[in-house]
Amino acid sequence: MTTQDWHVDDELWARYADRSLDAVAASSVDAHVVHCGDCQRRAADWDPNAAARVWPGVSREVSRPRLPAPLRLARRLGLSDSDAVVIGASNGLYLPWVVAVGGALVCAMLTGISVRQQDIAFILLAPLIPVLSVVAAYDATDPLRELVAGTAFSKLRIALLRTSAALVVAVPLTVAVSLGVPGLEDLAFVWLLPGLFLTLSTLVLMTWWRCWVAAGLTGLAWSSVVAGLDGADSALTVGAPPVQVGFAALCCAAAAVLVRRASTRRLMGGAR
Amino acid sequence: MTGSEIAVLEGVARSFGRTKALHPLDLTIGRGVVGLLGPNGAGKTTMLRLLATSLPPSSGRITVAGHDVTADVAQRTAARRHIGYLPQEVSFPRGMTAAGFLDYVAVLKEWGAAERRRLEVQRVLGLVQLSELGTKRVSALSGGQRRRLAIAQALIGSPDLLVLDEPTTGLDPEQRASLRGLLGGLPGTVLISTHQTEDVSALCDRVLVINAGSLRFDGSVTELVGLATGRVHVGRDASQGALSTWRTGTGGIRSVGGRPAPGAVPVDPSVEDAYLLLRAAQQPTTGARP
Repeated sequence: MTTQDWHVDDELWARYADRSLDAVAASSVDAHVVHCGDCQRRAADWDPNAAARVWPGVSREVSRPRLPAPLRLARRLGLSDSDAVVIGASNGLYLPWVVAVGGALVCAMLTGISVRQQDIAFILLAPLIPVLSVVAAYDATDPLRELVAGTAFSKLRIALLRTSAALVVAVPLTVAVSLGVPGLEDLAFVWLLPGLFLTLSTLVLMTWWRCWVAAGLTGLAWSSVVAGLDGADSALTVGAPPVQVGFAALCCAAAAVLVRRASTRRLMGGAR
Repeated sequence: MTGSEIAVLEGVARSFGRTKALHPLDLTIGRGVVGLLGPNGAGKTTMLRLLATSLPPSSGRITVAGHDVTADVAQRTAARRHIGYLPQEVSFPRGMTAAGFLDYVAVLKEWGAAERRRLEVQRVLGLVQLSELGTKRVSALSGGQRRRLAIAQALIGSPDLLVLDEPTTGLDPEQRASLRGLLGGLPGTVLISTHQTEDVSALCDRVLVINAGSLRFDGSVTELVGLATGRVHVGRDASQGALSTWRTGTGGIRSVGGRPAPGAVPVDPSVEDAYLLLRAAQQPTTGARP
């Protein structure tokens, strides 16, 4: 279909223009027109206003990105246009939100069917749900890491925007699971500080490694900690006020390291 | 730094573990198109990443547009506002359209106002001749179209320093010619890494040849080609000890380097000939430019 003795006829042009051609046929027309001067001229004769029609589409795409409904709501509530673009670039947030919903459901199932071990199962899984959700938010744009690193936009701002967008779904869902599964009511809020600490730690590790490596290290470390706790008392241990205070302190430390790594990190080298 | 210098490297080196990717390097880059030639693993990408501030140097100082990128975050951020960077490989996020991708990069380059972003995205899409594909998903674009889209993001904001790592990879001859026309017409500085010596001959005011992490040549295309003058011959037999030989369309054997065979005649060398000879040389060679 790309040989020079064949040309796009009027019927094909019409179907191409109204997008009724299948993908293969449309691509064949594209490929042929690129190399065929006759058809390039005919394209201009046949539809001189093509560019005028195309540009509004491009303009629409850029000036009114198709954001998920919650993000459109956030825009109405004051989220800036550029922040919405940064958040929306995380694959429209569908992936992190699906991860959050899926993680919460798995957590509910495992804790629901394992009544004897439900406390320790919940303490193990619940803090990791926001970690996985945040990592999923980054994974969608991680391919651009090299490119993003060289831009002037604050990396800390990117981190906070994506993290907030993921947590806004993951945290309420996990709290809902703890309130909905019989026997877990007392743990509804115990996991929040450990979850925040693990999320911040993962973000810090992501300044060195790829997001799933960072999540793996965090998950492994948390699993080791939980395994080292004393069985059925693990929830009580994590929920004890001194331990919660300890997690609060760790959160502050991790946040400080994150700020330093993300926004005030000096490059190595310096003046000779 | 004088007004014409856009980037200055002073004693810049970079190691990865025990591997020295770039030995201490002093370099000043002014306006025009600068070509960076070298074999795979020579340190080209490391040098470009250092200049693009996506990689910190192990030692030394880098100044871009008067801002010391190794000093602090404020200086580095200020420098980044003058840089457009095309990495060697760009993996695009899933589900984005071409215009949506450029819009995202424009936001990262601090183009806050939506209307200005829209116009800038239209401009760079036009520069790389992708205007009509703005609404297409990136996953539906061909390899060459994706490469042009990646080039377009580097052009956002008309940066003073454009750092392009093998921009012509994946482009057909027509697209490469078009890209050369575009890059040659830019007012600022373009630093371009390539394996295509014809790109260098057609485009570059200055050539840097790098090998094993060290700068082997710094001069003009004419000076580079001059290194091979009288060392490329065509004859019935290959030159003894030639670096490279092949049969030409007229049946003669073209030899680069070595001792010419009896009856062989010298011919005009190309950039590729000079590059091959330079690579074979062990010692650094400096052109007329300091």
